[in-house]
Amino acid sequence: MIQVTNAVKRFDGFAALDGVTLSVPAGSVYGLVGPNGAGKSTLIRCLTGVYRQDEGELAVDGQGVWENAALKARMAAIADDWYYFPQATIRDMGRFYRGFYPGFSTERYEKLKEVFQIDERRPLRRLSKGMQKQAAFWLALSAMPDYLILDEPVDGLDPVMRRQVWSLVLGDVSQRGTTVLVSSHNLRELEDVCDHVGILDHGKVLLERSLAQLQDNMVKLQVVFQDGGGVPEDLEVLHASHVGRIHTLIMRMSAGEAKNRLAVYEPMLVDAVPLTLEEIFIYELGGADYAVKDIVL
Amino acid sequence: MRSKTSYFNPALFRKNLARFWPMWGGASLVGALFPLAFLTILIQNHALFGELMSDPLSITAGYYQIVAWIIPTLSLLYAALCALAAWGWLYNPRSVGLYHSLPVTRKGLFVTDFLSGMSMMLIPYAVTGGLAILVSATVGGVEPVGLGVTILSVLGMSFFFFASAMAVVFVTGNPFAFAAFYFIFHFIAAGLEWLVTMLMTIFYFGVERSYQGVVEFLSPVMYLTRSLNVDTEYAQITNAGGWGESVLTSVTLVNGWMIAVYALAGVALLAFAWALYRRRRSESAADVVAVGWMKPVFRYGVALCAALAGGMALYGLFFDISRANPVPMAVCMALAGLVGYYIASMLLAKSLRVFRGTWKGALATLLAAVALCLAVAADPLGMETWTPEPEQAQQVRFWMRGWNGHGVNVILNDPAAIQEVLEVHRAIVAERETLDRDRDRFEGETYYAYFDLDYYDDPEDYDGRVNRNYDLPCNQALLEQSEALRKLAALASDPLIQEANVFGDIYGEDRDARLTGGYLTGLYNTETKDVEQTELTAEQAKVLEAAVRRDIQAGHLGRTLFMVDEEDGYEKAAYSADLNLDYSVTYLDGRQRPLRTQTLFLNPSVYCTETLKALEDLGIVNENRRLLTYAQRIALDNLEKGTPTYYDDPYSGVYYKDSFGTVYPEEAYVPTQDAYVPFDEAY
Repeated sequence: MIQVTNAVKRFDGFAALDGVTLSVPAGSVYGLVGPNGAGKSTLIRCLTGVYRQDEGELAVDGQGVWENAALKARMAAIADDWYYFPQATIRDMGRFYRGFYPGFSTERYEKLKEVFQIDERRPLRRLSKGMQKQAAFWLALSAMPDYLILDEPVDGLDPVMRRQVWSLVLGDVSQRGTTVLVSSHNLRELEDVCDHVGILDHGKVLLERSLAQLQDNMVKLQVVFQDGGGVPEDLEVLHASHVGRIHTLIMRMSAGEAKNRLAVYEPMLVDAVPLTLEEIFIYELGGADYAVKDIVL
Repeated sequence: MRSKTSYFNPALFRKNLARFWPMWGGASLVGALFPLAFLTILIQNHALFGELMSDPLSITAGYYQIVAWIIPTLSLLYAALCALAAWGWLYNPRSVGLYHSLPVTRKGLFVTDFLSGMSMMLIPYAVTGGLAILVSATVGGVEPVGLGVTILSVLGMSFFFFASAMAVVFVTGNPFAFAAFYFIFHFIAAGLEWLVTMLMTIFYFGVERSYQGVVEFLSPVMYLTRSLNVDTEYAQITNAGGWGESVLTSVTLVNGWMIAVYALAGVALLAFAWALYRRRRSESAADVVAVGWMKPVFRYGVALCAALAGGMALYGLFFDISRANPVPMAVCMALAGLVGYYIASMLLAKSLRVFRGTWKGALATLLAAVALCLAVAADPLGMETWTPEPEQAQQVRFWMRGWNGHGVNVILNDPAAIQEVLEVHRAIVAERETLDRDRDRFEGETYYAYFDLDYYDDPEDYDGRVNRNYDLPCNQALLEQSEALRKLAALASDPLIQEANVFGDIYGEDRDARLTGGYLTGLYNTETKDVEQTELTAEQAKVLEAAVRRDIQAGHLGRTLFMVDEEDGYEKAAYSADLNLDYSVTYLDGRQRPLRTQTLFLNPSVYCTETLKALEDLGIVNENRRLLTYAQRIALDNLEKGTPTYYDDPYSGVYYKDSFGTVYPEEAYVPTQDAYVPFDEAY
């Protein structure tokens, strides 16, 4: 489990993290979402021991991360700007990682060679950005981490490789109980893989929910009222729109409760439709003064 | 599994060495060329002269010379490269992200990278040294003490310079700034001393312009290069063939202990580096200054250096730099300091937009620069007016040069003689304003007497000396007006001073000097018309030495030094001849040294009556073999060439009547006052 409590990190007086508190359950895939400059990468660098937080606590399995080499040996990270030595090949970097990670599996490294199909003897600098990202996954997964921390991990990967990579990661989660913290500025990217999501903006966590909680707490209904009437004024809706006689209502409640409320107005049609993660966040935060569109675009 | 997370990471160590093998490999290759070249030269000598062997002490002397004169500079430069190789990742945010996310503590990174850098530093020395030892052992053997001292010295200097580079590595987040800071770190003390001394020189009359190196120990490469030396001792032996031969008996690395002191300082620097690294924030990669508390030090340090260097440069652009006026100098220093302050601010902010929030610092810089300038100008330490108390002048070394280029260069230990010099110094200080003003007034129009003094309260402590030197305008009118100049002129022929000047370097308590003979040059043979040289026997030399001493006591020597405004006066007074007395000097301290011979050169003048009389009494100078003054000699030369002769100053109206066929040669080489005619009559 990863536990962040009131983490503050300032750069020349600017608080990139301004009291972040979040919790990543063990064995979960936690999506950290936020616009550019929200503090996602800063939080990840704090969690991987690159930065030291000014205030607050960051704990993994109950232990502080800072200068905890034993703990970091169980964590692998892929930064959004992953570094490799200028002359190095994947094989060289593999040897380098093997010297640091006690759990590094040569067997897995060899197996993943089949998945990624990149010549391991080619210098990394000669590979495309997407191939370099694949190499980063190759090495991180070979380290057999209990915690995988990924910053914008699939940027530059083609759709097929994205699915392949997520398949590998989720395989580790299901088979080895790996805990994954993944940051992205794109909700759609995380929708299919995360079971927990946190939104970070201006160095603060705006919202943190499990996917189930989110989906249970909000509903999207398509409704046709009697005589082509509009949405009753006493009905509490987060958002309403209509196309002809069909009204689309977003309500903060479960689907059953919403239908019960609407039953009073004897609508001609009530139909619950699934909400995308993107819509959930838009309507959850719609009342607040946040640039939600930036988050989901 | 311990090794994976301990203080040393073999994977990182191997990676470091593997990544930078061209650097240390290339250095090793270049280093290896030198012992091989040495071997080649020995083989060539063997082919030519049949000698291949060299004695171990000579080889040790060679090692020490390399330690003293090459290793400090080489280590300074190479340590910077090694530190960059080991720690260059700190300057890239991406690589910092990788290294610090790896399962290794900062202590582990510090130790591993330190060992990597030191290894890169030492491998070339080890390769070169190993080959050198091999070659030495082949051609003459290795002297174990010398070898040990050499190895320890190389290790000590390598460690110190690498530790200093590491201390600088963590100060910055930028490789270019590292290079700049590293060399600033090693030369800032000497540079600041030079700048401050320069400023004092501009303000203070007589204060030495040259760099003295009071704080040079803070600029180790300069200090080591200057302090380390090789002392060799020889003994005279008679070889198997019955010939005298000098044999090397001892080699010492002078001041070698300093390397140990610097190595200890290296330990402190390493601890400082570790403290910096522990507190260093990863996000400071690419920053010019990575340590928060050093930012104001950098900002105001740059401002100070700019105020001093830039201020003087700016002043020199618009005013006469040899003399400072405090107000314009303060303005120049304030402006230059301000420029330095803003340049530093821009570098720190990595932006040109720094003007708005920094006006308070700028104002402080302006005020500080003006205050510094005015404080120096006010001479709070009284440097300009300082003259030593007797106990501060246990020994005086001074050099005085008159207008004709001849001078006095002596070391005085005699309190009475020192007192004479002090009197002159005090008189100069008392008249400093007039003399300083006259420097400008007569610039290019008169001769300058140069008076350079070194005072020692401890004659063994060269660095503890206090120097003053004066360039004094000197002509007949000024000599009449200035008591200081008159005293200076009198000092030139003072018996105590001349005794030290002539015989100070020959005789001494620590040596035994024996006159062996000599020779006299510049004798004009009236029969052959040639200039001749005659040898002196030891007996003749003794007689002449005694005569010289009588001339000194009578104040005859040194009288021509200040014959200013008499262009032909000196030439009429000084003989175009040299009296040379040869001495054999042996030292009495028991140390074996080669026999020293020394020659005393004297340029006699018409005032040296005792010496001239002795020369005549000995029959060396007579009717047929005469001494000619420079005036006579010039006239004679011109007479033979048939060219007109005139003396320096065409405006004096006095010309020498030469060889227009009216003067006979016999008369020409002994010109009388009648030989001079007014300019109009000459042409």
